[in-house]
Amino acid sequence: MATAVAELQAAKQATPQQRRDWLPGYLFIGPAVLLFLVFVAAPLVAAFGLSLFHWDLLSTPEFAGLDNFRQLVTDEATIRAVINTFVFATASVVTHIGIGMLLALGVHRTMTRGTKYFVRTAYFFPFLVSWAAVALIWKYVLDPSFGLATHYLSSLGLPVTNWLASPTWALPTLIVVDWWHTIGYTFIILLAGLQTVPAQLHEAARVDGANAWWRFWSVTLPVMSPTIFFATVITFIGAFQIFDPMLIMTNGGPDGATQSIVMYTYEKGFQSFEVGYAAALSLVLFLVIMIATGLQFRLSRRWVHQ
Amino acid sequence: MTPALERSGLSRRGFLRAAGGTALAVGASGALTACGGGDDSGGGSSTKELSFVYMGTAEQQATWNKLFAKFSEQHPEIKLKAEGIPLSNWGDFFNKLSTRLAGGQVPDVIQVATEGQRLFASKGLLAPLDDFIAKDKATIDEYYADMDPNLIEWNKKYSSTDGKTYYLPGEFNTMCMWYSKDLFAKAGVPEPTAKWTWDDFRKACDQIKAKTGAFGYAADSAYFAAIMPWLLTNGTSSFNDDWSKPTFNDPAVIEAAEFQRALVADKLSPPPGGTFDAPTAAAQGKLAMFGGGRWPIISIRNLKVQNKIGIVPWPVKVEQGSPVGWNGYPIMKASKKKDEAWTFIKFLISKEGSSFFAQLGGTIVPARKSIANSESFLTDAPKGTESLYQALSYATPIPSPDKGAAVQKAIEDGWKQVLTGNAAPADALGKTQTALEGLV
Repeated sequence: MATAVAELQAAKQATPQQRRDWLPGYLFIGPAVLLFLVFVAAPLVAAFGLSLFHWDLLSTPEFAGLDNFRQLVTDEATIRAVINTFVFATASVVTHIGIGMLLALGVHRTMTRGTKYFVRTAYFFPFLVSWAAVALIWKYVLDPSFGLATHYLSSLGLPVTNWLASPTWALPTLIVVDWWHTIGYTFIILLAGLQTVPAQLHEAARVDGANAWWRFWSVTLPVMSPTIFFATVITFIGAFQIFDPMLIMTNGGPDGATQSIVMYTYEKGFQSFEVGYAAALSLVLFLVIMIATGLQFRLSRRWVHQ
Repeated sequence: MTPALERSGLSRRGFLRAAGGTALAVGASGALTACGGGDDSGGGSSTKELSFVYMGTAEQQATWNKLFAKFSEQHPEIKLKAEGIPLSNWGDFFNKLSTRLAGGQVPDVIQVATEGQRLFASKGLLAPLDDFIAKDKATIDEYYADMDPNLIEWNKKYSSTDGKTYYLPGEFNTMCMWYSKDLFAKAGVPEPTAKWTWDDFRKACDQIKAKTGAFGYAADSAYFAAIMPWLLTNGTSSFNDDWSKPTFNDPAVIEAAEFQRALVADKLSPPPGGTFDAPTAAAQGKLAMFGGGRWPIISIRNLKVQNKIGIVPWPVKVEQGSPVGWNGYPIMKASKKKDEAWTFIKFLISKEGSSFFAQLGGTIVPARKSIANSESFLTDAPKGTESLYQALSYATPIPSPDKGAAVQKAIEDGWKQVLTGNAAPADALGKTQTALEGLV
């Protein structure tokens, strides 16, 4: 804070020469600001406006007041989509951070340099493939007639179900597919965090007689806490915006079991042509992500090492 | 402070910004379309070219281009700018088109199937064709004389709400049953005839499964291709006659769904929801029957099994039935080149244009009787291909309320619940009915 105030005061007293020196700075950020205004700020304002109208894309918009928001509270499908999205995001954070941490620890601790490169690349690779391709591949793998998963599970005598068509299994299946697709990213972040834990700290702890578990708990985790926090928030936000696998693999079905908020927004806006309602939905998503992220920052004061 | 912590301090600030930005972007996604609403300028109305937007997959593109080349040859004075949108179903095509129109991109002529005709006409986006028709009466009379009168009748009834004419009916699709002659022969089952019943169909499935191990039929949840034929042959439909009320909890609908579920439960059909490719399976002797309009011909020709496949009308329980959907080519109200647009439409319905649709990647039946019964349509195609045109005599236009894509999704999701056995037919379809009531 203090430095910011000082900078502001300095700015007021700047000479014309100094002000001219800032010009390149403004020029550099100009394009980014312009893009932000056109593609982020303006649509956001428009979303606020649209959410107050009934509009079907083709006719003239009609003013609706708060109708769209009233509909939100009573629309069972919206509530279902919000619950699905929360389940998905929570499961996504837990599996990404939990298993990602184990993978990172395993790779960091036990592997030689060469294998480490290989394993790192292998884990990260699926992340480079686009969602559309991943979704289609998994649709084939899980196909009830000739899918790889179906084939091998049944040849091992394990129970096989029509994963994507079952209201019970469809969402867990998508959670697993999402995990497979994006774990590499969380893994790399956590691994990088692990590598920055200074060896002297471990050494000192060992000298003090701490065992492996104690060293992990008191040295590794606290030093890594900002990294873990970053990974948690990024994963949560990404999971909250999930759309592609729902559209491609299940179309939100069966019976709304995999309907996410973004998927439902798309459906309302571009399939039912209820653009005002879709705008209201997207504002809700905006609020939810903002509140959840704010809450995470607040809670982080308790556990993230500053 | 260790380097790691310094870095995390930085990343935390950058991170706040990133987090905010992402949330903003999501909040905004629903509103992107707002930018260009309002005026109807732009697109074809302000350029020198006649602009035409149609639905065409990449593999059909070459054939379309031939048609456009022919048009340019006959009318060098009109510069045609045609744009195919490569989508596989009409719902998505209309979404794309509606979004464009809302964004102010208005073409001169568009391709609209039954699924969207009433929607576009009722929004006041189209120019009435009545004056043009009166002016070119001889041409239109000749065209109508070469067409099943039902098509003209339905076009009048369903594609306009104010008595004006916005579309000329064009090429169409109906549904018939495609079957593998080999599998029927191997199982010792006589080939189906035009008058066969649901019982005959079920018996054939049972026997073929028992004798050859192949699936009888590929049960599916596609609205036009796998649901409507069973409803219509059971004397019912998804909506009432003017599409104002859904009838998806009708006992006859439930009966049809149960009939389909039994095929899956008895393993006479592959499990639904997969990526099972019916024409390929039929060519490989793994599937005896699948439903189709004209479009499976592409795969059948690629697999070179035209002679091993036959086409018959759908099996009947209560009465003969098939859904039908056809294309129309309206002129947009905002177009500034209406005369040129009309010239293009006249070209599309001419004998030359129509015979082109007989060949267009094989996906559609030409509207002209003379072309549909000609060699260009019937050769190199399975025996019984003429059943597709004959189905017009007993077909029902595919019920297409304004929120077509949402309606289709609700129907297909409910049907799939029944097929997979996840829900009892009456429950699942009752729920669908409630969803549909909310959409009309």
